[in-house]
Amino acid sequence: MKRLKAGWMMMVALCLVLAIALPAWAADVIKIGVIGPMNFVQGKGHWNGATMAAEEINAKGGVQVGQKKMMIELVKADSNEFLNITDATNAMERLMTQSKVDFVVGGFRTEAVMAMQDIAMDSKKIFIGCGAATDELCLRVAKDYNKYKYWFRGTPFNSTYLVRTSFIHMATVGAILKKTLDLPQIKIAVVAEKAMWTEGMIKASEANIPKMGMELVGIWQPSPVATDVTAELSAVQRSGAHIIFTIFSSSVGIPFARQAGELKIPAMQVGINVEAQKEGFWQATQGMGNYVFTTNTYARGVEYNDLTAPFVDTYIKKFGEVPTYNADTYAAIKYTLVPAIEKTGTLDSDKLVAFIENDVHMAPSGTVAYYKDEQGRPTHDLKWGPGFLTSLGVQWQDGQLKGVWPNQWKATPEAPEITYKGIVPVKIPPWVIEKYKK
Amino acid sequence: MIMGLLAFYLRKLYSIVRNEILVLPSRVVVALFFLFLLLVPVLFKDPYMLRILIQASIFAILAASWDLLSGFTGQMNFGHALFFGVGAYTAALLNLHLHVPPWGSIPLGALAAVVAGLVIGIPCLRLKGTYLALTTLAFPIILMGIVFALPGITGGELGVSGISRLSGSRTSDYYITVLLMLGLTTLMWKITDSKTGIIFHAIREDELAVRASGINTTRYKLLAFSLSGFFAGVSGGLYAHFMRIAGPSTLEVGLSFTVVIWAVFGGIVTIYGPVAAVFILFPLLEFLRFWPEYRTLMFAVVILLILLYMPEGLIPWVRDKIEKQCPRCKLRNVAVRKTCRVCTASLD
Amino acid sequence: MILDIIISGLISGSVYALLATGFCLIFGVARIVNIAHTAFYMVAAYGIYFGTHKLGFHPLWCMIASVILITLFGLIAYKLFIDPIREHEAAVLICTIALAMAMQEIMLLLFTGDFLSVPSLIEGFFTIFGVKVFYQQLLTFGLVLLILAALRVLLMKTKLGLAIRSTAQDREVANLMGINESRAAMITMGITVGLAGLAGAVVVPLTILEPFMWMHPLIMMMAVVVLGGLGSLKGSFVGAYILGFAEALVVFLIPKGAFLKGSVALSVMILVLLIRPEGLFGVSFEEER
Repeated sequence: MKRLKAGWMMMVALCLVLAIALPAWAADVIKIGVIGPMNFVQGKGHWNGATMAAEEINAKGGVQVGQKKMMIELVKADSNEFLNITDATNAMERLMTQSKVDFVVGGFRTEAVMAMQDIAMDSKKIFIGCGAATDELCLRVAKDYNKYKYWFRGTPFNSTYLVRTSFIHMATVGAILKKTLDLPQIKIAVVAEKAMWTEGMIKASEANIPKMGMELVGIWQPSPVATDVTAELSAVQRSGAHIIFTIFSSSVGIPFARQAGELKIPAMQVGINVEAQKEGFWQATQGMGNYVFTTNTYARGVEYNDLTAPFVDTYIKKFGEVPTYNADTYAAIKYTLVPAIEKTGTLDSDKLVAFIENDVHMAPSGTVAYYKDEQGRPTHDLKWGPGFLTSLGVQWQDGQLKGVWPNQWKATPEAPEITYKGIVPVKIPPWVIEKYKK
Repeated sequence: MIMGLLAFYLRKLYSIVRNEILVLPSRVVVALFFLFLLLVPVLFKDPYMLRILIQASIFAILAASWDLLSGFTGQMNFGHALFFGVGAYTAALLNLHLHVPPWGSIPLGALAAVVAGLVIGIPCLRLKGTYLALTTLAFPIILMGIVFALPGITGGELGVSGISRLSGSRTSDYYITVLLMLGLTTLMWKITDSKTGIIFHAIREDELAVRASGINTTRYKLLAFSLSGFFAGVSGGLYAHFMRIAGPSTLEVGLSFTVVIWAVFGGIVTIYGPVAAVFILFPLLEFLRFWPEYRTLMFAVVILLILLYMPEGLIPWVRDKIEKQCPRCKLRNVAVRKTCRVCTASLD
Repeated sequence: MILDIIISGLISGSVYALLATGFCLIFGVARIVNIAHTAFYMVAAYGIYFGTHKLGFHPLWCMIASVILITLFGLIAYKLFIDPIREHEAAVLICTIALAMAMQEIMLLLFTGDFLSVPSLIEGFFTIFGVKVFYQQLLTFGLVLLILAALRVLLMKTKLGLAIRSTAQDREVANLMGINESRAAMITMGITVGLAGLAGAVVVPLTILEPFMWMHPLIMMMAVVVLGGLGSLKGSFVGAYILGFAEALVVFLIPKGAFLKGSVALSVMILVLLIRPEGLFGVSFEEER
């Protein structure tokens, strides 16, 4: 037993020595940690976007840091955050103390990102979040600037704006239905998965839908991992809703779309359905997920600005599918971090933070700028709106995910009208037209 | 005078070490283990390693508390995550809303877990074997449903965050956790070595006979649930303060299963078995990080193989290889000896 | 509304009954709590996905092939890992947990964590009393009744059934009577894994395929079996429908609380156990000394 334990300790010691020694050899690189659930679509997006950015930059010779050029080295860290928060924190800790990275990008699940954020902040390393939308992550920056200033939101914009964008989508579709089918008033059914992040949206729906001139006919909340929603669908149909405002981020988005399509429920699905953002959605719903409308960041053929098409097309060529918003690790590295390093000429976190928080720059998804709250404190949260980041509304049309919003959209009556290149009109399901056309 | 007193105690210490500890390899291992854990921050300055050992200590308390209940009294508890989660959430909520510092919130969290232990212990008194196991499985799930139903208080799937640290630095965190672990597991071991412990053993072996002897088994079963709940609650509170977040992941079925795996792997009806198992398996799981895809698979395969060849658990198997029991005086001896060290009977 | 509840309850009850029967059988005969039961169900489902999606065969052939393959796999796993340590019940339990984890990980490696789905055997739906029912759900319901009838015939009318029943009642005496008790256990294992595979084939088009899908049905299935009484097939059947109706009631009466259906079902189980510790139809086992 003693021998066993001694041998084991030697093995552990050896590994630790190796792990500590190895990083010391490669001193002339910039180490960027990419942390995410690598076995799942979100982590794969993180990693793919980051590798694309690193390869492009290294191919051009690397990053100019002051007098010398340094290459980028990526460190992959599997946070396993869906299954185990402990694993996520350990992974971040390892990035900080074993791999000794200079920057971190990634993260997805809020519970994990909150814990991982603390660890990165303790080590004073810049962490650009590419997945969690919770307001709290950026509110912490305002409340305790000195500790949390190293955190920036890379994507998506926070949940308040997510809500606003979804309501705009709902209003747009409502207006289209009203005009095409000559309906007196649009009825809306809200189906939201039972989760913390949907609570705010449900309250906002209850308050705003009447103000938008539409009627709220019911609210249903299935479990985020429900697989049979026929009960909810029957009830929705009975309520006479024209639009189903979906608020799903978990797997329930798939059976809901599939069963609604199979049962030909006479209502259009608009809102947030994260599963519908993935190209595998078509197969997962056996083709029944047609006409589902959801928010998304990228779509084939849609361009925000000149940087979008090169990014999306190269990504599709390399990885065979449209990038998800997690792949904005690409923008975080190539358009946020690297230009900041080159302009300030240093890797020092404090100096970089001071630069980045005032830096307005273009990225494939729009223009990136950061907020300050009403008291003027920086929150490092992303600015939303025309001219900054708006994201897209996308709809499944016969097996393809097409961008359908913004289409002649004005944020306010004085704002410029926006239609991105590649946007197509919304399609209404034939069975909905059949039901309501007089 | 003082030098003489010191020399006396040192000599006594020396004789204890020589006659009690060095005599048996298992005790030597335990002593070395204690020493190693206490000296780690001095030898290795790596915060990552300290982190792993802190988490291992927390889970060691949890696994040992499971063994106290399910190993010793035979009440198979498949919902041990309940105590862990209740302890974690209570400590977190007390700390966040009432600003109770860790040395207060953790014991209070543990007491809440004791209450939880009684709540599930009482209905389970009449259940046996598999029924008991599957019923206990249900409780953390029900609690998790309640957690999601009251997101205002419990934070829903985001959990309770923003809890204060255990202490100022990683090293002091380490010493607090390790000393607590060593202390609590020794306490648990002492409990099993006492009269109460004998009754626990007896309840497992033949409850009817114990009742026939006039002992109130209900009281002892509830005592086992409460003690187990208390220690598990302590580990839950420590976890919440160390990770600075207490979420629904503390109530998962997977955690209950993992605790059972650790305990059975290490050897039930010992207390040191689960502790050793956690300290072997947890770092092993971290070490297997280098192959992230195969990690859990290798873990499962290791478990399968060990159980195939050592169905009683790893530690009892190892213990039986290095020590033998004297047939006459029942004391343990090193396996290589030919005669017992106390009664000189032949060991073969 | 009532009709919705009845139909929804019947359907989810059938799904649970299908899974619970196999679990109950192997416990009754071999005293093995097979935590990997739903994991076999998952592997069978992945097999069908692989067959239909990657190889392009018709779902029916994939189902049949899947069931046969999973039965073989189950038998091999049993022989290699469980049979040698059958005497140590705790170890067997952990073994099945480890097996389930291993299967989950292999599926994760082969198919990644993305959500997938399987085509229905019979597409479409029909409306009965104003409630829309999928043909696949009707198929599930019909199949459950068919399988249970077949099992009943097997157990009551055949010699093999007699062997299984006597092993379930008293292992040692069955051995004394000349019944090869370990062979009976192995055959039962084959039957239960086959049942799990069949459940996978029939139920999976109604649900989502992912490497962690085995956990939720496992819990409900165990609740059903405990409620009905371990070792009693009739109990599992009845328990499945009771819990199915309990879930349907929750979903329809408390739409905002639909996620609570699991917790409510489990509470029902605990309440019943408080009154009757052996479950509804369970046999109180004599303490084996």
